Amino acid sequence: MSLSLDATQLDRYSRHIIMDEVGPDGQARLLDASVLVVGAGGLGSPVIQYLAAAGVGHLGIVDDDVVERSNLQRQVVHGDDDVGTPKVESAAAFVRRLNPDVDVDGYETRLTKENVELVADYDVVVDASDNFPTRYLVNDFCRIHDIPVAHGAIYKFEGQATTLVPDGPCYRCLFPEAPEPGTVPDCATTGVLGVLPGTLGCIQATEAVKLALDAGDPLVGRLLFYDAMDMTFETVPYRQNPDCLVCGDDPIDSVADVEYTDACTVSSD
Amino acid sequence: MTTVRWRLFADLAEVAGDRETTVTVGDGATVEDALDALLDGRNGLRARVFDDGTLADHVNLLRNGDDASLSESVEEDDELALFPPVSGGASSHHRV
Repeated sequence: MSLSLDATQLDRYSRHIIMDEVGPDGQARLLDASVLVVGAGGLGSPVIQYLAAAGVGHLGIVDDDVVERSNLQRQVVHGDDDVGTPKVESAAAFVRRLNPDVDVDGYETRLTKENVELVADYDVVVDASDNFPTRYLVNDFCRIHDIPVAHGAIYKFEGQATTLVPDGPCYRCLFPEAPEPGTVPDCATTGVLGVLPGTLGCIQATEAVKLALDAGDPLVGRLLFYDAMDMTFETVPYRQNPDCLVCGDDPIDSVADVEYTDACTVSSD
Repeated sequence: MTTVRWRLFADLAEVAGDRETTVTVGDGATVEDALDALLDGRNGLRARVFDDGTLADHVNLLRNGDDASLSESVEEDDELALFPPVSGGASSHHRV
């Protein structure tokens, strides 16, 4: 590790450095890491906050939305003054205020096949997206390029999280194709408990930090269910699917032929 | 007779009107029989989880916390579960 910590950093990250599991080398690894957060909304907010605080040296943030007042009930990286501002700008401003060690790159765009190459510059991706086309594109591209993904998704009072690493099952092993549009309701239709994405996003941030440190046992081959009403956490195991489009026996080697509409299938022509 | 417990997650629980329910099936019954018993009288749930007459690809089926097939047998006090993917934030746009 070529990076060494200066006096300010030794102070700032002292609670990390004092632990054997992180230590100065681990903190230097975090400062050297590049993490991309896809989505600066409910899930992305706590992810961005904790990764910035942890001193992840390079944070990328992708989002094409502007802050709306109805976001503020859960998207805690944005403030009242940010209404109308692009979320990537507001989130980047938060990061710069919190920790000058972090270089932040905002991409005010929606991730598509045409711009997904930007993901290849990152060591770890956090999928905090709000829609199936982006989620499947992230899964597929990252699997093809051996980039680990910390995934999270929410519904009203429930959440799901899992971690997708190159030698483990991928999101398509669990859910081969996205449901038809309109089958699964979104937050705008159903509502969401404001603190719910906070809990799930913190789990994703934890996984991203572990991946960057190469420490602990990531949530691989396990889907974690969180139920805020019952206050229960459960994990169920899942396996690599030999028929999986991206990590099975006959995998695709590019996302070029995948149609990222809501069903996310490979085009038949 | 064999009694098994069904657990439903996310919007499946809402469509069904219940997060948990028990069903009773005959001896030697399969997961498919238990699914039929669950869906009997729950047409909304049937429409939600079936796609062209089979369980939709995006709906996962578990028996005692492990991936299950419709053809395997169920035993007394088994826990069966159905879960869909959940979407995430407020998609004000579903463009690709």
